[in-house]
Amino acid sequence: MIARWGRRLRIPRGEGAGPWLAAGCVSLSLLMVVALLVLLAGRGLVYFWPTEIELVTLDDGQHFAGHAIRDEPPPRGQLGVSQRLYHTGNRDLHGEVWRWVDIERIASQARPADLVVVERNRWGDFIGRVAGLQEQGRDLALSEAERWPTVRQRLERVVRLREESDALREQVVEPLAKRLAEGRWRDSNDRESLAAELEAANARVLAVQDAMSRDALVLESVNGRRVVQPLQGVYRILRPNAMSGFDKFMAWGRDVWRFLSEGPRAANAAGGVWPAIFGTMLMVMLMSVAVTPFGVLAAVYLNEIAPQGRLTRLVRIGVRNLAGVPSIVYGVFGLGVFVYGIGGTLDEWFFHDRLPSPTFGTGGLLWASLTLALLTLPVVIVATEEGLARIPDAQREGALALGATRAETLRRVVLPMAVPAMLTGVILAIARAAGEVAPLMLVGVAKLAPQVPVDGEFPFLHLERKFMHLGYHILDVGFYSGDIEAAMPLVYATALLLVLVILVLNLTAIFLRHHVKARHGALQR
Amino acid sequence: MIDFSTSSARRRQRLRLVRDRLATLLISACGIGVVGAVLAIGVFLAVEVVPLFTSAKIEQAPAADQDMRDISDLQRTWLRPTSTGAFVARTEKRFADLGAGPLAVGETMLWRADGRDLEVFSLAEGEPRLLGRVTAVEEGRRITALASLVGGRALIVGDDGGGVRRWVMGPDSVLPIPTPAYRQAGQAPIRVLMPVPDRRLFLALNDAGELALYQALAGLLWTGAAPAGEPLGFDAEARLLWSDTTGIERLVVDAEHAEVNWDTLWRPQHYQGHAESQHRWQASVTDSADEPKYGLAPLAWGTLKAAAYALLFAIPLALGAAIHSSCFMSRQLRHRLKPTIEMMEAMPGVVIGFVAGLVLAPYIERHLAGAFALLLVLPMGLLVGGWAWSLLSPHLRQRLPLGWAGLWLMPWLAVLIALSLWLSPALERVFFGGDLHLWLEQVLGLDYVSRNAMIVGLAMGFAVIPTIYALTEDALSGVPASLGEGALALGATRWQTLWKVLLPAASPGIFSAVMIGAGRAVGETMILLMATGNSAMMTLSPLEDMRSMAANIAIELPEAALGGTHYRLLMLSALLLFVFTFCVNTLAEVVRGRLKRRYRRLEGRS
Repeated sequence: MIARWGRRLRIPRGEGAGPWLAAGCVSLSLLMVVALLVLLAGRGLVYFWPTEIELVTLDDGQHFAGHAIRDEPPPRGQLGVSQRLYHTGNRDLHGEVWRWVDIERIASQARPADLVVVERNRWGDFIGRVAGLQEQGRDLALSEAERWPTVRQRLERVVRLREESDALREQVVEPLAKRLAEGRWRDSNDRESLAAELEAANARVLAVQDAMSRDALVLESVNGRRVVQPLQGVYRILRPNAMSGFDKFMAWGRDVWRFLSEGPRAANAAGGVWPAIFGTMLMVMLMSVAVTPFGVLAAVYLNEIAPQGRLTRLVRIGVRNLAGVPSIVYGVFGLGVFVYGIGGTLDEWFFHDRLPSPTFGTGGLLWASLTLALLTLPVVIVATEEGLARIPDAQREGALALGATRAETLRRVVLPMAVPAMLTGVILAIARAAGEVAPLMLVGVAKLAPQVPVDGEFPFLHLERKFMHLGYHILDVGFYSGDIEAAMPLVYATALLLVLVILVLNLTAIFLRHHVKARHGALQR
Repeated sequence: MIDFSTSSARRRQRLRLVRDRLATLLISACGIGVVGAVLAIGVFLAVEVVPLFTSAKIEQAPAADQDMRDISDLQRTWLRPTSTGAFVARTEKRFADLGAGPLAVGETMLWRADGRDLEVFSLAEGEPRLLGRVTAVEEGRRITALASLVGGRALIVGDDGGGVRRWVMGPDSVLPIPTPAYRQAGQAPIRVLMPVPDRRLFLALNDAGELALYQALAGLLWTGAAPAGEPLGFDAEARLLWSDTTGIERLVVDAEHAEVNWDTLWRPQHYQGHAESQHRWQASVTDSADEPKYGLAPLAWGTLKAAAYALLFAIPLALGAAIHSSCFMSRQLRHRLKPTIEMMEAMPGVVIGFVAGLVLAPYIERHLAGAFALLLVLPMGLLVGGWAWSLLSPHLRQRLPLGWAGLWLMPWLAVLIALSLWLSPALERVFFGGDLHLWLEQVLGLDYVSRNAMIVGLAMGFAVIPTIYALTEDALSGVPASLGEGALALGATRWQTLWKVLLPAASPGIFSAVMIGAGRAVGETMILLMATGNSAMMTLSPLEDMRSMAANIAIELPEAALGGTHYRLLMLSALLLFVFTFCVNTLAEVVRGRLKRRYRRLEGRS
């Protein structure tokens, strides 16, 4: 009986359970990759979508307005009710930004169109209604219908004025002040005229700022508490409940752009990541400038010039292994040799007057790039060498037979053919460097770098400055920020950005390598 | 012979040759330089580490420092018995009523030796109050010297047989706890014990005129003959002043990193304030009275534990995936799969760490039962899937070929995972009385920490899978086709061919793949930094925390003082990581090279 069942149940054709388990491994690995990407993309992009505001009335008659964030079951092992988390903003009114509510207690929910979210420079978001508009402290008489267009109009005016004042300060006031401070004038007349000019410019800035502070919003929370918010401190006002899908999409696009182009605010817990993007890019560029020539030369030496004996083979194995040495070890090396060793010496030679505060003797852009260059050197060497090895010997022999010297063969024949391989190596190096954080923590990354390493001041590129980095930004915002609930979406967005950059770089490298393989065929050796 | 070349052509020829030489020279110089610079990492780390293990010594201060009459900064760190009683050198406070035995004073304690016994007094209420007695030396011996180390929580006892032993304050008892006796420097009675100010070093002088230097944990460091005369005390630079009839001599105690040696790093130590010996890493202490604890064992343990769990997760998945893709997968899919897995490798550690630490860890904590169930559900579900597939009509089977199973099994697995996680609360209710965490604690005695080895295993496994996969795949698909074809021709199924022919042939390659994966797991920093709680524990449990060497370096190196013991120890951990990964990778590379040559032989080439 059992035997008969066994025959029935036996997999008729096929090869037993093994192949299915093996196939499952592939599926599971792919599933994990997909899940990670979907998680990052979903959470990272949704963050910018203007969510609607709910006006919640509780069973005891209380009401409040906020974005519903998520529901959570009762804490494990305890009987209780599910709770919902709301982001209610208005830190200035009730001191708390988040509110947990028992779902059972919610009597009704509504989405009135007149609720607004106001992004402010202080106290975080305000969620409530616009009750009125003040001009120089006097209320403007506006009908309901006029109110919203007027608010938007006035906000646009403030934005224009802010740009004007920023431009004035950067282009007129600061250069003048610098000239005066550094004593760059021809005679006393010139100096006086400069001073007068500066005064006039300052007066203009003050006038613009005065104009900016003319208007103020009267905001009213859903509980009826009022706040007067100067329009000067408002970045954005949205009425998400009244927006159409297209409006929301436009607002989403604007927010994504602001995320990419603005600096962080509120101790990195809000705002954009532009300095981090810039720092990452600059560091990676400097690194590739350092790593490309040396990596390529070393590969050419190992593959073309060095005698192909046991020693070269050992060196090759050594170089290959260095790709497997933990990145933190390179960080330690960078700290010990570049920062404390070379940096300390440079400080003693050239920046003696600034000691004991270090100039190059502390982590900075230059040391970070050099450390990462060292870290990615094996990648470039290995990729270039592989490319060189793929070039058929007949090409070299042909060139040599025609009377070319070795240098000429290299320059005219071998190197041009190996360019795609070198590019592959450099791109892989960049991709690896862009994602590496551990060594940077030792040699120069900063939580918040007030000065970007590039500015209008001589020598324009400040190699000794600390810089911000996307990867470190993730660590810092995710693990060391006070309000993790508020920071998480930002971390998701940053992580998504970093992963996208790295994926694009890697895809380029894969494409290039494919191109090389198609051209020269499989590896010869 | 007629020379056709004109002088200008000759000049050009020479120029070309010179240029060739120059280029070759330049490239060689650069190449050798780069290779040398890269290999210098190991040399640099070794140079930084060496001072840790230089032996300590006591020598005469240079002549320039010797002839100083000014001894106003003299500080005596020990109590000297007088005819009437004893006094503290610094405060000149007398404890005359306690008798003439050796005394030592801590912050709130006073110890007095009485023959074989040690008496403990409290100084909290002004007048010394006897708290208890304990027998401190063996039968037939007598305590001859006492001294307390900086912070006053460790006591050194010297006896008339030359024995020296450290007693430490326990966590709750007022009576000190003995630690193993130090190696003896001589047999003569210890005359005086001299703790070096603000260090955990002390000197012992015995009646035979032998001077010995000890470190609280490392034990005996140096012995030598003492100069004639009497020790006076230490000056501000911690040099020992020694007087005899002719004048004053200064001795320099050169023992910068004396608290570290191979034993203190790797063996359990009895630290002050603890009841028993233990492994412990606690390098940064806020108070000078606290003892820094430099035990590398917990860090090494954490590193290896994390790597082991990561490999436990990664090896089966990576090997399975490689087997499937080299033997069963359709060519088309394989060409698409490889780049995908390569991109998985490029996923930055900081992103994986963030997702593991902030998303996965809290999620799994809430769905622990479901996560455990997955271990069972996934393989069973796969088998059920395979069985169901075999029951399909031939037409459908053709539409869902095994070669593409990697793709079309994904939704099925997703459903299984979702199902087990959804059922998690129910499972917990049915099997574990509603709370798995409580059950684990009460029945198995396991603590659950949110960021634990299991999470790290998952996250780091994810990072290691691509490495192992790619190398295993290379090894498997590199096996000469004739071997597999032969087996197939003899009637073996593909699975039999794989199991009996391909895997044995490729096993060295698989071994090297696993080794390289292990090297990567050992050195990974960001994932461990973010996905663990970074507390240095030494347990095997997958549900508990650990601290790895790499994460420890990233956390502590920026704050370590340049050139200090802590700094050099972090360099030592970096060196260990370097040496470990370098050895593992070299081994793997050598094995792989051998394998390649073997394949070539098997194929009949070269």
